[in-house]
Amino acid sequence: MLVSLALVFATALQGQTPAPAASPNLSDAEVAHVAVTANAVDIDLAKFAQTRTGNTAVRQFAQTMINDHSAVNAQAAALAKKLGVTPADNAVSQSLQAGAADARKSLEPLRGAAFDRAYMDREVGYHQAVLDAIDKVLVPTTDNAELKKLLVDVRPAIAAHLEHAKQLRAQLGGANAGQ
Amino acid sequence: MIWQLAVLLFAAFGGSAAPRTHTVEIRGMQFRPAALTVAVGDTVVWINRDIVPHTATATGKWDTGTIAQGASGRLVAARPGALDYICTLHPTMRGTLIIRKQHS
Repeated sequence: MLVSLALVFATALQGQTPAPAASPNLSDAEVAHVAVTANAVDIDLAKFAQTRTGNTAVRQFAQTMINDHSAVNAQAAALAKKLGVTPADNAVSQSLQAGAADARKSLEPLRGAAFDRAYMDREVGYHQAVLDAIDKVLVPTTDNAELKKLLVDVRPAIAAHLEHAKQLRAQLGGANAGQ
Repeated sequence: MIWQLAVLLFAAFGGSAAPRTHTVEIRGMQFRPAALTVAVGDTVVWINRDIVPHTATATGKWDTGTIAQGASGRLVAARPGALDYICTLHPTMRGTLIIRKQHS
């Protein structure tokens, strides 16, 4: 399970981050930590993108990422508190953070249209990876019904972000990253 | 006197039914129903059942503004016509509002 999740995220990060060592299934406390981390890293990158982009649509996309992932995190934090679960750090959360640091590093030197394309490439890959992780790893591995329901409820938002990111990326033109 | 007569005639012959209120649920990143037909004078209420904020916006025509989780936005249908609308925060979300002169 964990290996596949790590692979999913590694794919999103374009192989920049080695997959973490495999370990048994995630506990609910670990799933909660992965969820909070996944939201947090996308918020951080969106805030960075807002300082860098001059494109109105990209800026609005980044604002939606900040709004939505903050709302989901508030919900996740409230649920964790209600359930008495303390989110537990784990290898998947760490790989997400490492991947986000790599993404930030690769975006750092870029400006203008090159930045916008690279940021949107990252967002397409990232949301696809999160979607795959929800379906293949997080939902199947979660025991608590309310935590599982939150993951299921969040899925359509992630899918909408992915479609939004793809449309916006297509409008920007140019080659995809890595091509 | 004349206006009273006019009101009576309007009520008897030309009058449409009393204005109605229609509800569109926003759930799972979709407007439900996605297409809605109403009459001039009716009220449409969008209720956000999602975790994330939304809008219902026909660009340049009307805009509910941001609707937070659990909150609602409303519009009183003013002019006949068919309007496609989106959520400006999530442009992949689309709906259609058809406004008729009166209830059929």
